[in-house]
Amino acid sequence: MFLRKVFAFVKKEFLVEISYRFAFLLHIFGTFTWILTFYFIDRLFGSKITPHLRPYGVNYFSYVLLSIAFFSYVGTGVGSFAARIRNEQLMGTLEALLATPTKISTIIISMGFWSLIWASISVSIYLIFGAFLFGVDLTHTNLLSVLVVLLLTVTSFGGLGLLAATFIMILKRGQPVTWAVNTLFELLGGVFFPIAVFPGWLRIIARFIPVTYSIKAMQLAVHKGYSLRTLRLEISALLIFSAILFPSGLLFFKWAVKRAKMNGSLAHY
Amino acid sequence: MLNVIEVINVSKSFATSRLPWQKKKVTVALRNVNLEAKEGECFALLGPNGAGKTTLIKILCSLIVPDKGDVKIAGYNLKYHEELAKSQIGLVTGEERSFYWRLTGRQNLQFFASFYNIPSQLAKTRISELAELLNIAEHLDKRFQEYSTGIKQMMAVTRGLLNDPSVLLIDEPTKSLDPNMAQNLRTFIKDELVAKERKTVFFATHQIPEAESISNRIAIMDKGNIKSCGTLEELRRHSRSSGDSLYEIFAELTNGNVKGT
Repeated sequence: MFLRKVFAFVKKEFLVEISYRFAFLLHIFGTFTWILTFYFIDRLFGSKITPHLRPYGVNYFSYVLLSIAFFSYVGTGVGSFAARIRNEQLMGTLEALLATPTKISTIIISMGFWSLIWASISVSIYLIFGAFLFGVDLTHTNLLSVLVVLLLTVTSFGGLGLLAATFIMILKRGQPVTWAVNTLFELLGGVFFPIAVFPGWLRIIARFIPVTYSIKAMQLAVHKGYSLRTLRLEISALLIFSAILFPSGLLFFKWAVKRAKMNGSLAHY
Repeated sequence: MLNVIEVINVSKSFATSRLPWQKKKVTVALRNVNLEAKEGECFALLGPNGAGKTTLIKILCSLIVPDKGDVKIAGYNLKYHEELAKSQIGLVTGEERSFYWRLTGRQNLQFFASFYNIPSQLAKTRISELAELLNIAEHLDKRFQEYSTGIKQMMAVTRGLLNDPSVLLIDEPTKSLDPNMAQNLRTFIKDELVAKERKTVFFATHQIPEAESISNRIAIMDKGNIKSCGTLEELRRHSRSSGDSLYEIFAELTNGNVKGT
C-alpha cells in the first residue's frame, strides 16, 4: 500500500509537470547555460589540476560539474518536503489529503519521491551534457559507492527537509533551513571548490556539515572509483547524520502537524 | 440503532494575535458539545455563520483536534484509532481548491482513491459507478479547471463516497449550486445515500429549508453552543417560540439571527 501511495504521488506530479511543457524545456536550457558558465571559468584558468584538486585527479570543470549535479539531491532532500507541503497548502489540497486514512508519515514521504525523481533527471542532464558535450570522464565510477552515498545523502538531508517542512507547518512562509542549506552548506560544503582551499578554522566548521562528506565521497567514487571500504569515514559520518536527522525530522514534523491541528491552521498559508 | 457518530463534551477555542508579542484573543468555537447520529440518519447542523459548524465537521474528520472531549466514529475513538475512524468517513467540503486543477476529474479521483486504500481496479469501477449515479460521467476526462462550480461540487461528493464510507460529512452541501442542481443533490442524499444505502449523513448548513427538507434530526447551533437538537417535532416541543416553523424556532434560538433562505 505504501508503494501504491508513492506511485500515486509520482504519477500526479508527473501529470502536473507535463501539463507545463515549456517549464521543462526551460529547465534543460537553464542547466546547459549553468554548465557553460563553469566550463568557461575552467578554461580561463587553463583547465589545470591544481594542488587542491589533486586528491580527485580532475580539473575544476569536472569537479564542479559533479558537485553541482549532485547538490540537486541535497536540495531535493532539504527543499522537497517543505516545497511540497507549501504547494499543497497553496493549492488547498492538504486538508483533503490529511482527511484520508493514511498516516502523515506516509503522505510526507510519498511527497518527497517525485522530487527525488526530478533531481535524478536534473543530475542525468548535467552528466549527459558533461560527458558528451564537454568530455568529462566518468568511466572510473564505482557504481555501488555512488548508490550508497546517494542513499545516505538523501536520508540525511531528508531529515533536514522534514525540519524545513516543520517550519512551513508553523510559520507558513520563511523557513530558515532551506536558506541555510542553499547558502551556507553550498559555500562551506565544497560544492564550488574543495574545502581544502579554506583556512583551518573554516575546515573545522565544514566537518560538522553533512554535505562536506557527501560531496567528497561522491567525487572520489566517481572520479577515482573508490570502494565503500575506502570511503568508510565519509559513509560512517553520513550514517550518523541520517540516523540522527531523519527520525528527529519526522518527529518534529508530526509535532508540527499536531500543533496545526490544535490551532486549526492546517490549511492556512 | 447504533450511534455511528458520538461527540462527547467537545470544546474548542482558538487563540489568535496579529503580532507574536501581542496578547492573544481567544475565540470560543465550541462549548461542551454533545451529539450523536445514528446509522442511516441524515443529521443537519444548522446555524448562522460563525456558529462553529465547520469547526465541528473538521473535528469529526480529525483536521482539528478538540481542546477537550471525545469523538467516536463507528465506535472508534479519534484520539486512539485515528486511521480506523477515518476509514469510515467520507468528507465533502464546498472548497473547490481541494482538487488538482491541472488533472482530470478521473485522475484526481484515482489519486485520492490510493490514499483511501482502495485497490486500483476497485477504484476504477467505483469511480465509473459513482460518476454514472451522479450524472458526471461525461465530465470525468476533462481537466478539473474546466468544470463548472456544480460539477466541481459533484466531484467532491464522488470523492467523499469513494471509500464507501459509513459516515458522510458534508460542509454546506449545496453552496453555490443552482436551484436544480441543489435539489438533485438533496434528493440524492435523502433517497440514495440515507434511505437506500443506510449511510449516516452529517451536514452543516445555514439554509433552513435544506435542513428541514432532508434531515431526520437537526441540531441548531449558535456561538459554539448546541441550542436544541432533535426531530422537527422535538424542536417544536422544546421551543418557547409562538410559531412552529423551523424559521421561527431558529430565530428564537439564535436571537433572530436568521441567515439563508
